[in-house]
Amino acid sequence: MEETEAKEFDASIGGTEHLPFSANSLRFASSRSVEIAAMTESILRPSKSKLIFQTLPVHMRRRVMSHNCKRLPRRLRRGHLEQLKKSGLPPKQKRPSRKYRRRPANLLEEYNRRQRQHIWLETHIWHAKRFHMTERWEHRLPYAPCDKAFRACYRGSSAHCLLQDISYYTPIQITGTVAKIKEVFAKITSCMCGLSIGAMAYINGTRQGTVHIYGVNTFPFGYVGKVEFIWVPSDSINKTLWLFVHPSQASIIQSVLTDASCLQDDNDYEVANKKRKVDSVTGGIEIKVMQRFNRFRLTGPNSHAILAESLKCISEDLIKNSKWTSLHKPKDLIEKNEYWESISTAKSPAQLPSHMVVGLVVIDPRLRRPRHRTKAKQNTDTEINTDTLLKIPPYLSNSPLWDMRIHESIKKELMTNGQFVKHITKNNLVPGAVDEDDPALQCIPVVLVQRPGSQNSEFKKLGYGSGWDIIIPSGYALPFWLTFIMFGARSGGLRETESLAFEMGECQFPPDSNAGQENENRIESEMRDRYFKLPPSKRVNYNKIAINSPFRCPWNILLSDWSDDKTNEFFVLRNKTMLNDIQDSITQKKHIPNIENASMCLVPVYIKITAKGSLQRHALICLPEESDLVNVKTLFEPHHEDPNEKTRKLKRKEHIKSLKKIKKKTYKLKKKLQQEKKPMYAKKLRKIHRQEPSEYVKTMRELWLSSQIETVRKVGAREVMGYVVQGAFSFTEARSCGVGYIAYNALKHLLDTGINQVLVRNPTSRKYRLANIVIIRNT
Amino acid sequence: MADANTPQKKEDTKKRPKRQPNKNYALKKRVPLKPVDGDNVIYITKKTNFKAQLDKCCDLLTRGEKEIILHGLGAAIQRCCNLALQLEILFSGTCQIEVNTGTVDCVDDLEPLTDELDFNSQVRCSSSIHIRIFRTAMLGANQ
Repeated sequence: MEETEAKEFDASIGGTEHLPFSANSLRFASSRSVEIAAMTESILRPSKSKLIFQTLPVHMRRRVMSHNCKRLPRRLRRGHLEQLKKSGLPPKQKRPSRKYRRRPANLLEEYNRRQRQHIWLETHIWHAKRFHMTERWEHRLPYAPCDKAFRACYRGSSAHCLLQDISYYTPIQITGTVAKIKEVFAKITSCMCGLSIGAMAYINGTRQGTVHIYGVNTFPFGYVGKVEFIWVPSDSINKTLWLFVHPSQASIIQSVLTDASCLQDDNDYEVANKKRKVDSVTGGIEIKVMQRFNRFRLTGPNSHAILAESLKCISEDLIKNSKWTSLHKPKDLIEKNEYWESISTAKSPAQLPSHMVVGLVVIDPRLRRPRHRTKAKQNTDTEINTDTLLKIPPYLSNSPLWDMRIHESIKKELMTNGQFVKHITKNNLVPGAVDEDDPALQCIPVVLVQRPGSQNSEFKKLGYGSGWDIIIPSGYALPFWLTFIMFGARSGGLRETESLAFEMGECQFPPDSNAGQENENRIESEMRDRYFKLPPSKRVNYNKIAINSPFRCPWNILLSDWSDDKTNEFFVLRNKTMLNDIQDSITQKKHIPNIENASMCLVPVYIKITAKGSLQRHALICLPEESDLVNVKTLFEPHHEDPNEKTRKLKRKEHIKSLKKIKKKTYKLKKKLQQEKKPMYAKKLRKIHRQEPSEYVKTMRELWLSSQIETVRKVGAREVMGYVVQGAFSFTEARSCGVGYIAYNALKHLLDTGINQVLVRNPTSRKYRLANIVIIRNT
Repeated sequence: MADANTPQKKEDTKKRPKRQPNKNYALKKRVPLKPVDGDNVIYITKKTNFKAQLDKCCDLLTRGEKEIILHGLGAAIQRCCNLALQLEILFSGTCQIEVNTGTVDCVDDLEPLTDELDFNSQVRCSSSIHIRIFRTAMLGANQ
């Protein structure tokens, strides 16, 4: 072997082999046919140690794939069965029992029973198969997809399309004269926080608006929540207004609205009695909580392409085939169709007029569905005309959807999926081809609402978070949902709503509202439970790092620490001009202007860490000292003494002793019983299961984490200014960011020293890090 | 930009005396219209790391793309030019550059700050540059 290697191979340079000048490809291949056959064989039946289903990408893997070959893609099934045979598992599946197979009838009953407790969305079963579900706000809602798709969902929202079902928003219909409605809303909103509900910009119904709602005449305290509203375009004196309310605030907003409308005529005794009724006619306006519409949220630039592909406007002559059109005739179909066609070449919804409302009447979305899951794309070289983007035509926003009479009829005439398949297979001459002008399927009114996303390029990437909301009559959720999915939308749940709000720099549930407090309570109990489930050696000892409320932000204590007197009430600053002024003075390192109720005021801020480091929930925002800006790298919280450590150890020793005593006692008792030969069960000592933790556990927990906090400001080495309510790594900023609140007095103090940066410290760490602050102005 | 309505700094107004912010409206920007999208089309931004975009272009060219197109808008024009020149140096002799300039119409929303006004919009022209970089000779794969 060694000799042959030393010599050359080719004859021309001294070797032994004479190579031919040409090679016949056919002969070349045929002489290797055995090898090729062996290779294809080994590809088809791999002898690798990896199983076939393990070679699939993560998002295609399914549970119990190894047992049930039907979970695999069809092309891999043969190889998989072959492998199963080799490993000796019985490849044949037992036929499920008749009882099992007949289950759907029972299933429906079971479903109805389960829905009594929590409200289900129409897409519930689709979601329940693919999502982790949670109970929130009396609904059973999808939390996060089972395939590990956190980043994929972010990418969806920034580059493709993220689809969420937000049908849980409660619609409230208000009818009355404009003046009356304005009068009511004047009591529960403030003109400081932006445009009012009756602003010229919104009253003709071409745009959706938002208002901040407070308690009756309590501004700036008693914040309730942010509400989206749409005016129904009409020429009559009595106008209709639709509010879309988040379910965590729905009941409060109802009562606030009825209160506000009742106060108009206090003398009317009877009306005041009716106050608490949900549907009420008071003071000339009517407030009704309506049945739910389906509302989907599409986020991301591709959402426009998906809508353009899946929604096709119905033509005028086909409209008579749907029964509901006799109840309410849709108007301006041709113009709307033209407009929709003209804007369908837009690359992103962020190019369209902001908050535009589009009412369309479209054909059944099942007719537009692609056969395979494909990504919707604009087939465009045609440039969109900028003139169409400038103005919203006045005819665009009216829609029969707001007329409640038609909904019964639409629901009744709905063709179920089974009927649809039967109909299509029967009537189609060419299999696969779908007749889009099928008269048997009714058309559906939908309303689209544009969301502009970020419009301030200094704060966030332009157009991030832009998309469409689509409002669909009830019953039609799944056909639309599946069509969007087939056009390449990625579905997300509540986790995505949270992360989207975080990336946009918004706070979903402000701490001065009821919903925010409920949310804080929920987070606290979850985190506390988790903390005390850990063994003591794995728990962070918060006493040693000077954190006294790691699971909750004590706003009241923080604010009273920063003012002279004790405060029980506080509010978040939402005054637009004030926020702008504060932002200006932060960038220019000026003194900030004075405001009323300064000692009870929190300022919402967005925090960006300057260098590396992560941010967590409930991180402290601290006041830097002059020297900190230079040597922040070596700035640590010093070690603190844990005063309770010895007591805890002592208690534990005692407890163990007492446990031993009890054990001994029971042992003796047992022995005695045995000697007396009494039957064991007569006096079996049963373990008592308590719901509540025992006294010992409670005191130990108190020693770990004291529930009585007097001060938060001067606990650590640096004074605490505020807290971060949501912190994580932000993909849009490529660094750790957080949404937090700072006490107004603390911010004033900071800017008086001429610094516009803050220190942040995670509740599990001793390290202080430097961060920049930006005022959140789109709360 | 919500702060467009606030009085701007003195130096700012000196530089650009034309653009007077309207007290009644807040200027909100929309995404500019993009020409054709594709694998070999790169939009140069000011926020993205320069080195990252350069690497992306190098990657595309070495992978065998015949041409890549760089688009730059407004303040990113200079960056776009720098990038193209850097590429020319890196692929010395094997690439050529073709430059076109143009104007893009950007649409801005004018959001009213008082109740009595309706939404408005305006068209703002912004200069743009489109640079086509194409290979004239293919080097070995080691480039």
